[in-house]
Amino acid sequence: MRYRRPGLDVFSHLLLILAVIAFLFPVWMALTAATHSRTDLYTSIAPLWFGSEGLHNFISVLTEPIPGVGASASTMLLNSLVMSLGIAFGKIAISMLAAYAVVFFRFPGRALCFWLIFMTLMLPVEVRIVPTYQVVADLHMLNSYPGMILPLMASATATFLFRQFFLTVPPELLEAARVDGAGPWKFLWDILLPLSKTNIAALFVIMFLYGWNQYLWPLMITTDQSWTTVVVSLKQLASASDALVPWQLVTAMALLALIPPVVVIIVMQRYFVKGLVDSEK
Amino acid sequence: MATFQHQRLTPWLLLAPQLVVVGLFFFWPAGQAIYQSLFTQDPFGLASTFSGLQNFIDVLHDPEYLAAFTVTILFTLSVAVASLCIALLLAVLADRVIKGSRFYRTLLTWPYAVAPAVAAVLWSFLFDPSLGRISHFLELVGVHWDHHINGGQALALVIIASVWVHVSYNFVFFLAGLQAIPKSLLEAAAIDAAGPWRRFWTITFPLLSPIMFFLLITNTTYAFFETFGAIDATTAGGPGGATRTLIYKIYEDGFKGLDVGHSAAQSVLLMILVAALTLVQFRYIERKAHY
Amino acid sequence: MATLTLNALKKRYPNGHLTLHGIDLKVAHGELIVIVGPSGCGKSTLLRSIAGLESITEGDLWIDDTRVNDKEPAQRDIAMVFQNYALYPHMTVFDNMAYALKNRGIPKQECEQKVRETAKLLGLEELLERRPRQLSGGQRQRVAMGRAIVRSPKVFLFDEPLSNLDAALRVQMRLEIRRLLKRLGTTAIYVTHDQVEAMTLADRLVVMNGGQVEQVGAPLELYSRPATRFVARFIGSPSMNLITLEATTSPLAKHPLVRDMPAEPMEKAATLGIRPEHLRITDPLQALFRLEVEMVEPLGADTLVYGHAAGIAEQIVVRLDGIHPLEESAQLYLGAERENLHFFDVEGRRV
Repeated sequence: MRYRRPGLDVFSHLLLILAVIAFLFPVWMALTAATHSRTDLYTSIAPLWFGSEGLHNFISVLTEPIPGVGASASTMLLNSLVMSLGIAFGKIAISMLAAYAVVFFRFPGRALCFWLIFMTLMLPVEVRIVPTYQVVADLHMLNSYPGMILPLMASATATFLFRQFFLTVPPELLEAARVDGAGPWKFLWDILLPLSKTNIAALFVIMFLYGWNQYLWPLMITTDQSWTTVVVSLKQLASASDALVPWQLVTAMALLALIPPVVVIIVMQRYFVKGLVDSEK
Repeated sequence: MATFQHQRLTPWLLLAPQLVVVGLFFFWPAGQAIYQSLFTQDPFGLASTFSGLQNFIDVLHDPEYLAAFTVTILFTLSVAVASLCIALLLAVLADRVIKGSRFYRTLLTWPYAVAPAVAAVLWSFLFDPSLGRISHFLELVGVHWDHHINGGQALALVIIASVWVHVSYNFVFFLAGLQAIPKSLLEAAAIDAAGPWRRFWTITFPLLSPIMFFLLITNTTYAFFETFGAIDATTAGGPGGATRTLIYKIYEDGFKGLDVGHSAAQSVLLMILVAALTLVQFRYIERKAHY
Repeated sequence: MATLTLNALKKRYPNGHLTLHGIDLKVAHGELIVIVGPSGCGKSTLLRSIAGLESITEGDLWIDDTRVNDKEPAQRDIAMVFQNYALYPHMTVFDNMAYALKNRGIPKQECEQKVRETAKLLGLEELLERRPRQLSGGQRQRVAMGRAIVRSPKVFLFDEPLSNLDAALRVQMRLEIRRLLKRLGTTAIYVTHDQVEAMTLADRLVVMNGGQVEQVGAPLELYSRPATRFVARFIGSPSMNLITLEATTSPLAKHPLVRDMPAEPMEKAATLGIRPEHLRITDPLQALFRLEVEMVEPLGADTLVYGHAAGIAEQIVVRLDGIHPLEESAQLYLGAERENLHFFDVEGRRV
């Protein structure tokens, strides 16, 4: 807008910067606390500046078994990574195939499949968490990557997004491909997949965050500590002893838990916004 | 839509993975929940007897369930209202400033990447009774803070942490909505001598109301489910059930208390509630499509 | 080079709607057939049935001596140019053109050679590494042509390939397509709704209406001897004047040119057709009717005059050569040569 008011501009910037600082504040406090030793920390209130420990606390959680958890943060980071990548790629793969079938084929039972899949949009995994646990236990998938990943893939959000996108693909493209001698699989691989790149990237960001930040599900199905994810373990570390909370370790862990998804969201900002806005339409 | 013809097997091959996953981990458990909600199990899970709607009646008469319901409503409303208001304010400001708009967007959206559980742990450090910066400050102004003992403060802590995460989500949508408003509309209003304040309430806000409605629903489901981690990691439903939401109670009863029947009944009730919400949302989207 | 034979071709959609009512057509080697008709007449469906993009409900489709009804598009050895070009947006011009060749397992070197030859033919050499979105409309059109040509198919199919171009480019591409097709000597079917395009391109023209073929023939044959009232109105611009004859009451029916028609056809004739350019100013004695001028459109090279005549319900259009300073409400006596009068019976067939 061209009718500007300088006073209002300054005020806007001021408030925005204030918000940026407020958003960063908890992370900053975690960062400073993580560079102190426990004794330093508990001599006064939480420090505003870095302490003398440097990266020592980070190295210690990454290499040593964490009290109350039993595994080191590197194991848990790996678990988180496998789980979130598994969910992201798995969901993208099965959703894309299913959406492809629903949009580009006509076959008896198509409408039924469509509704079966889209009914899952109604209920998030948390609602049916206890029976899902029983199913996974019956399938002997507790404490395993498939057990952590597959139930979280059972939703149609990505299928819906792919369907919306496929419907915008000009039908002549399919016809041209048929004239050019491309069958269904070739069309999917040579044409549809490259055209979906942006959508896949956007979905990847959303699904990676979704997977990484899961709490209830991995908490329930990982009874063996070596399968715990980093987000879940935070609580166990914080409440390990009845005595004082080891905040220098907890904050270090919390930072390790938030850095990967935050990096993804910042690096892929454009796709993140697209993915978020598209997947909620 | 152009389609492939003479393909009988291919579509089923394509659908198979999703159908298997959805069947195994959605329909089977959902069916189980409904089935179990109609049976009473003995504490060892050895025998179960059909009990009709008894579980539902028990649950609805359980004062703890009703308390959890109240907590959920209070929690949901606070999170939704607070994060919507803050996000709208920030989005309007970020939309106003031309310089640095992208910069602000990045710096105001990253908290969305933080897991609610992690966020809650970060905030509980700030509110830690012995060394937290904020609790220390509150002490100075005469408020004694200990969310391990004080139920209201415990609820406030989880609300703050959840809002902190969710503001960024709403911010993204509000900003996208604001940027989609044709500038000519606002210019027309400016020519009609409407000041910035009037312009916002008479033009911008009404045009944002569809997004507002949509966000209200997604915020509700967020507060219902995704905040489980925030609650479990900091207050674990306590003290005294002050932060025990519906989903937390299902988890407690079904998983810790092994009371499968009642937990299943609660699941079914929650399913109905969420399905109703989703249907409202679908209907609204359908209506929007006609514009 | 190939022949194409359509034998009582019918297309019924799953919802029961019959789009093609049995089409018969024989296309010779290297012939350029243009199918023209109003929208919804079934011309695109016919083309897509030939391509194999729509299944054929009844009848036979032969390419040379092979019945291809049940063959996939790719097995029919045809190539198609789409209205919106349907270029693969993520592939370069080169890859777009080479895609069909690669799918047929043609060795890379041969692919490359063929693409380059075709690119040269169409003047696309400089553009081979570009992507479709970096091309202008005309260039995209050319690439779409190139993608079809590079395979040297038996039959080319064109689905309104010029309708997304602006007028000037359309004229230029029209000439180019004609020249190219004659040079390649490939059989081609070309669908359009633009009658100028149809007239200038076609060896033979197929006029379709309501899922049926109204007339097949050389463009000028259709112009001078339209077989039906529909073809008469569809070919030529402005459209032919069609005048309903009521044998007893209309003064026109008593005019010697009309009255002296052989008795038998005259009884059946229900409509008299005269093209606007065939009406000329004449003396009152020989005139078919007297026109009350209502509107004049001076176009420079000719002048269009609109008006009504006594006893004729329809508005009459006259095309006069050159400039005519006519006033509105002026009166014109108009006549025509005998060979330029067309008579149609009640069913709309030529008498």
